[in-house]
Amino acid sequence: MFKKILIANRGEIACRVIKTARKMGIKTVAVYSEADKDALHVDLADEAVCIGPAASKESYLVMDKIIAACKQTGAEAVHPGYGFLSENEAFSRRLEEEGIVFIGPKHYSVAKMGDKIESKKLAKAAGVSTIPGYNDAIAGPEQAVEIAKGIGYPVMIKASAGGGGKGLRVAFNDQEAFEGFASCQNEARNSFGDDRVFIEKFVEEPRHIEIQVLADAHGNTLYLHERECSIQRRHQKVIEEAPSPFLDPATRKAMGEQAVALAKAVEYQSAGTVEFVVGKDKSFYFLEMNTRLQVEHPVTEFITGLDLVEQMIRVAAGEKLSFTQEQIPLKGWAMECRINAEDPFRGFLPSTGRLVRFQPPAEVEGAVRVDTGVYDGGEISMFYDSMIAKLITHGADRDQAIARMREALDAFLIRGISSNIPFQAALMQHPRFVSGNFNTGFIAEEYPKGFDASMVPHDDPALFVAVAAAMHRAYQDRAAQISGQMPGHERVVKDDYIVIRGEERCPVTVVPAAEGYAVSHRGETYALRTRWKFGELLFAGSLNGKPFTMQVERAGLKYRLSHAGSQAVCMVMSVSAAALQALMPVKLPPDLSKFLLSPMPGLLREVAVSEGQEVKAGEKLAVIEAMKMENVLKAEQDGKVRKVVASPGASLAVDEVIIEFE
Amino acid sequence: MHEIIRRLDESRAAARLGGGQRRIDAQHAKGKLSARERIELLLDEGSFEEWDMFKEHRCTDFGMADAEKIPGDGVVTGYGTVNGRLVFVFSQDFTVFGGSLSETHAQKICKVMDHALKVGAPVIGLNDSGGARIQEGVDSLGGYADVFQRNVMASGVIPQISMIMGPCAGGAVYSPSMTDFIFMVKDSSYMFVTGPEVVKTVTHEEVTAEELGGAVTHTSKSGVADLAFENDVEALGMLRRFIDFLPLSNREKAPVRPTTDLADRMDESLDTLVPSNPNQPYDMKELITKVVDEGDFFELQPDYAKNIVIGFGRMEGQTVGIVANQPLVLAGCLDIKSSIKAARFVRFCDAFNIPVVTFVDVPGFMPGTAQEYGGIIKHGAKLLYAYAECTVPKITVITRKAYGGAYDVMSSKHLRGDVNLAWPTAEIAVMGPKGAVEIIFREEKNDPEKIAKREAEYKEKFANPFVAAHRGFIDDVIMPHATRKRICRSLAMLRDKQLENPWRKHGNIPL
Repeated sequence: MFKKILIANRGEIACRVIKTARKMGIKTVAVYSEADKDALHVDLADEAVCIGPAASKESYLVMDKIIAACKQTGAEAVHPGYGFLSENEAFSRRLEEEGIVFIGPKHYSVAKMGDKIESKKLAKAAGVSTIPGYNDAIAGPEQAVEIAKGIGYPVMIKASAGGGGKGLRVAFNDQEAFEGFASCQNEARNSFGDDRVFIEKFVEEPRHIEIQVLADAHGNTLYLHERECSIQRRHQKVIEEAPSPFLDPATRKAMGEQAVALAKAVEYQSAGTVEFVVGKDKSFYFLEMNTRLQVEHPVTEFITGLDLVEQMIRVAAGEKLSFTQEQIPLKGWAMECRINAEDPFRGFLPSTGRLVRFQPPAEVEGAVRVDTGVYDGGEISMFYDSMIAKLITHGADRDQAIARMREALDAFLIRGISSNIPFQAALMQHPRFVSGNFNTGFIAEEYPKGFDASMVPHDDPALFVAVAAAMHRAYQDRAAQISGQMPGHERVVKDDYIVIRGEERCPVTVVPAAEGYAVSHRGETYALRTRWKFGELLFAGSLNGKPFTMQVERAGLKYRLSHAGSQAVCMVMSVSAAALQALMPVKLPPDLSKFLLSPMPGLLREVAVSEGQEVKAGEKLAVIEAMKMENVLKAEQDGKVRKVVASPGASLAVDEVIIEFE
Repeated sequence: MHEIIRRLDESRAAARLGGGQRRIDAQHAKGKLSARERIELLLDEGSFEEWDMFKEHRCTDFGMADAEKIPGDGVVTGYGTVNGRLVFVFSQDFTVFGGSLSETHAQKICKVMDHALKVGAPVIGLNDSGGARIQEGVDSLGGYADVFQRNVMASGVIPQISMIMGPCAGGAVYSPSMTDFIFMVKDSSYMFVTGPEVVKTVTHEEVTAEELGGAVTHTSKSGVADLAFENDVEALGMLRRFIDFLPLSNREKAPVRPTTDLADRMDESLDTLVPSNPNQPYDMKELITKVVDEGDFFELQPDYAKNIVIGFGRMEGQTVGIVANQPLVLAGCLDIKSSIKAARFVRFCDAFNIPVVTFVDVPGFMPGTAQEYGGIIKHGAKLLYAYAECTVPKITVITRKAYGGAYDVMSSKHLRGDVNLAWPTAEIAVMGPKGAVEIIFREEKNDPEKIAKREAEYKEKFANPFVAAHRGFIDDVIMPHATRKRICRSLAMLRDKQLENPWRKHGNIPL
């Protein structure tokens, strides 16, 4: 076994590899760019080598620097993680030449699977199901119908030169194929000046399901069941799970065996993934093979009990797999949420900056796992991927895995930057997701106009009312203990309050009870138990015995609460104060379309327009420098500048007004 | 007897209605509450004791003799409690003669002020007045001056707070201006010495009342007001919370209330707060909220002179005043506005026995003609004077830069700082390495290699807390994560601090 390995990666995956290496008694070497000098993986590794400036192509992607770092530290092998150099044939070849072991597949396997067309041909030859299609010139609609019949309906007729959905037809029968071909060809000729058209099997309600394979250097190749990754946003995976709620044992076995056949065909060793698209009729077709460890590998680890990184290292060291296909369990259900530094309420714009608070939920053996590469007080830089953590839960069945994920998301505290946790929590509540009836179009179909918090109703609004009331009562009870009160005329705290949430007014009675408060609301009494302390951002407790964790914040007279993807802003007042509050004018928020607001904190470098100037949509208005990056803000619509509010050189907060329009 | 009681009940009912239901409705329609409703929100339920409910004006000129006399004469006065603690209050009633100030109206205010001063309890004014009662002429002006005189007598003895909840114009602004804190309500309050019409006549400027003296103007442009609130309910709710920070008078220590936050709570995330690049800013408010009890920091003047942060927090349950340079804005340098803002706050804390905790990251005073012509010499001296004069416990934590005269000013050891601590990232020097080297080694300035070497030398020598620590100007170098614990222990040690300045009639602060 190796004595020392180098991890040619950063972030959570570098940390995750280091953990396994440490468990196996192997020393680790981290590499890092100048931007990562305070990163967690550098701290966790036994040794660390700086390999250049922040930009990946000057550091993490430079083979010479990685090899030099190996030589300098005496690392015998390199784990590439995912991304960067993990699927680079030249890199694994170079390492081999230098006598350093690449913890991954051999370069020839990488090469064969690296080419999309080549890999499909190879797959077909290995007996793997590929999408039937016809790529050569088609003489006319009659031939198109013949081809379509041969493939089997439905088929997709598409302009070769077309992109996106343009010039695309779906035909379910001969007539549609006939007409579709003609109109598609016309449109292609008119739109692209190229009338070539191709026909391919149309996969209805496609799901992304992939098979994890594992092979050693001794000819043993196994499959570790599937993962479903259909919940995607713009082709980026958001949630992954294992097993798939869609597969039956027979399909699983068929897919697994085909994946193994493909791996064998390219003499694969180490861990790899064969991706399939699966139609609603359970027909499945090969997409591509990823010759590396996948981001979502932990869900497979949960259901099989295997440590994939350990297996990769053992295989690379020449060991034989110590188990057979039949010995690979499929126990329970695992689910993974990718936690990204992005703002779900602003079109998922990446969010960078200081992690003022980063407090992931506690890990629980066999139930909750957190893979992360950042820490409380750390910095999210703009140079790398926005994924900062992976939250993985495991349960006896899918429902339990989801339930645990909900709890874990509720307890995941991130401040200072925005994260997609509210969106993930909303997905975990979504009936269609919970039912398992979804496909890769899920997010686009359910959130066509983006995401906002009001889309997530809470299944028990009484929880928000009870927590707001209890927090308020706790603050009142404490306020009543201040020093210097008039003797004999001390503050007496009342039991009756009104919880105001938007238009809604809920009369409540709150009285101290065992380990918390009894909150009566609409004829029901809720026992709220908690050990929450003033100022804590997590309110953990139970309502009528049902445990929950809520994120809470007291801002002025308001209590901002969020739970299970749902948010509430409440005020709590005495009955008489609430009556006066009702007299207060409703102030409409200013019409923000009349303003150019700073989308991020940064330095205002330039204001490109002056007062009174007419601007056209798309025209440059201002330049903000944030995280050393210049961001050009452009006009969203035509208009006239009324006032330039901020002047160049000003440091701006998020949403600060820069320009006012007429 | 029955007859008297009947008349009493009638009088009370009349007084309670002020200018009548119609005017109360009009007040509501403007989004404003009545004088009594405001008191109800401010004080503990049922704690208000009203005085002078039956007081009436004595004016007979300009038809006032025939005008209806409304008991109370446009202001509701008395005392009550906020969380059990005594406060005096006057609340002007816009429904009665537009809340205008008559001789008798002023007498009512003076009466509560006199009592407040006698027993040592704050005075809270809820201002909503159209100004002087013009029909009374000089009687009304005299009334204002009587209030002003009491404002000055009470200054530094009892806290005085003004909540501007409607118009406050002309001479009327000078009573709030002499109180310790001014709060305003957005969209319904304004303050100015001369209104938009006069401004237009005299200077030909066209300006709305809101732009001239609204809450946003005074909290961001003029610095006259300390905070602006969305509406009456929020304003009064937050005012209750604010009063909890203040002692009732200068005879008392700052109030204490129980907290569940531990004095020795560590926060590892503070170890990475200061960026490694000395020119990169960071948010000083993160440090403040992570150090004070429960993250509860009541910031004052958050939108004015943002390069310095002031406000109240608590440590182990007891109020402290916090002053901090804000590197996020103008690199945290001191200028005219920030010096005045902080100086006044330090003097309030000193007057009312509230310990001052100062967080320092200051690259110096702001250069430029605007500052020099504006008198930065005298205005900067205000902060220096305030800190030097201050005898309450003073704790200072230098997080990064403490350069030049600004180092001295920011509660340094030399100004009787009691406990002066520094983070390992502290740099205490006359100026930044670049500037210093350009002056000391002027003759080498054309040799970039030599200059770079000198700069490195200077950095090595001064870009750390050691030189200051060797001389005892810094009591200890502490790890950022232990900041709360070290401040709590220092404050506990200083609880019975005794220090007196020499007797004098009063000092001569550079006004």
